[in-house]
Amino acid sequence: MSKKSKSRLWFLVHSWLALPIWFFVLIVCVTGTLAVVSQEIVWLANPDVRASQPDGAAERLSYQQILDALHKAEPDMAVRSLSQPDGSHFAVTAAVTFADGSAPTLYVNPYTGAIQGKSPDFNFEAFTRALHGWWLVPFTNGYSWGWYLVSLLGLPMLASLVTGLVVYKKFWKGFFKPTLRFNHGARIFWGDFHRLSGIWSIWFIAVISITGTWFLIQAILGDNHISVSTEPVVPVIAREDVPRTDSGAPAARISVDEATRIAREQIPGLEVSFVSMPGNAYSHLYLGGRGWYPLMFQTVNVNPYNSKIESQFLIQDRSALEFVTESMRPLHTGDFGGLAIKLIWAFFGLLLSMMVLSGLLIWTKRTAQATAAALKRGERKQARTTPETATEASL
Amino acid sequence: MSKAAVAPASPLSRWWHKWRFHLNILLLLIPLGFMPKYFADAAMFRGDSGLGERDLGTIQVGPWQVQLAELRDEAPRADGPAGHFKAFNAALCNTCINEVKAAYLRIGKPRSLRAAGTIFFGPPYRMATNLPIPSKTKADAEIWITLEGWDGSMHQASIPLAKASPATLAWLNKQGGK
Repeated sequence: MSKKSKSRLWFLVHSWLALPIWFFVLIVCVTGTLAVVSQEIVWLANPDVRASQPDGAAERLSYQQILDALHKAEPDMAVRSLSQPDGSHFAVTAAVTFADGSAPTLYVNPYTGAIQGKSPDFNFEAFTRALHGWWLVPFTNGYSWGWYLVSLLGLPMLASLVTGLVVYKKFWKGFFKPTLRFNHGARIFWGDFHRLSGIWSIWFIAVISITGTWFLIQAILGDNHISVSTEPVVPVIAREDVPRTDSGAPAARISVDEATRIAREQIPGLEVSFVSMPGNAYSHLYLGGRGWYPLMFQTVNVNPYNSKIESQFLIQDRSALEFVTESMRPLHTGDFGGLAIKLIWAFFGLLLSMMVLSGLLIWTKRTAQATAAALKRGERKQARTTPETATEASL
Repeated sequence: MSKAAVAPASPLSRWWHKWRFHLNILLLLIPLGFMPKYFADAAMFRGDSGLGERDLGTIQVGPWQVQLAELRDEAPRADGPAGHFKAFNAALCNTCINEVKAAYLRIGKPRSLRAAGTIFFGPPYRMATNLPIPSKTKADAEIWITLEGWDGSMHQASIPLAKASPATLAWLNKQGGK
């Protein structure tokens, strides 16, 4: 095959990878972009989720102090877990259950312990993630087929990146001589835009498509019940370790602050950004937070009766394979380094969405031009020859 | 791309050539179709639509009462080699919250507290458990609720599986037919 027809073939492949499903890819890119900054969008829209400091001197409350404040405000309410979202500008979230069985999330001021609000019925973060992640198809037996549908897109996206770079000869020159022509018509502009944003997004498209493909692999492994996890399965607390009380009242448990203190004493450098209350009389206090490697969490199970750490899963407990597989999700979502990383992810997510659109625009405009040209030629030559077709030269 | 330049003949193929790459917009019908289900599920997990899809009423267990509900009115769900599971929710009476240490569910009467079955997790207002359903379970089986007190006492009650989950019964009958 000649060099020219080879590159034409690559060009064809590049066009066909996204073209027949452009709208699907576009919506997945747009919802993914929204999902990255969904927490920030809610922060902007809903004052309840902001951690407003009452006055400069006020200090943050400990988790037990927050629990005490919640119990004082709502004595009948059960708190399931407390969590400090990544970023001190966010209020603490408390997953609670009321006596009527309703189980919302409360936003709690980290300085005063005041309940600022209740999660609205429409959960924007969860909705954008569900739409982006599995196209809202419910999980009934293993992974939903919507999850497969979306994660399959990782493959054509990766192929688009590779074929795009093959077709775009000497693409690295674009870094030194960025071209974005505004005055040569829409086709030229979108072509320039597609290539320019493409080369600056190489790393991002690679990250998103590889991690997206991992989600596909994860589903295949999960549905075939293959696990790479070394995380210990924590057994319930042994029957003899849970006290029986003569009074018939619940046995005393250590405070959350005490559990945190014990965990931090025995595991130097342990950050605690969430605390889950024991799910029943036989379960542990579960707490943890990001480790020195910010893409992974470290977690500890503390026995609330005898204060012993009965299970832990730290960075150094991970296998080499887990370092790779566990890094995939945060790399995809960009939620491992605060607002700055999220904004970078959102920006390139938007650029990626625009690349889908510009790719479509190039194709439609080129086809329109090629059709018009072919018709003209056809009129001139009176159907003596077949019309010539567009080639990659017109990209 | 290339051959699209040739003007197609019939109206149908003209339509096809014009719209073929926009047909994937129809994929949007999938999330639109699942949206009611999505919001119904979200409301259910927030506890806004009761304890479960099928409320089984209040059951007297010794001195205590427990409200039981089938989370979803459907056949047990498969979980690989672990078998099939059926999710139930429960709520303790307000006066017994501080007396009950743990609640369990099991198919068939437990011989002892140690074999009381699967334990409920969650606050007493809304506890949940996944009950394993062996495919050879008999149609007249009963599910047993065991409540354990902090003072060491144990109380039990049962309801017919057919009443607790008609969908499970239908599923079991189908399993037997295989």
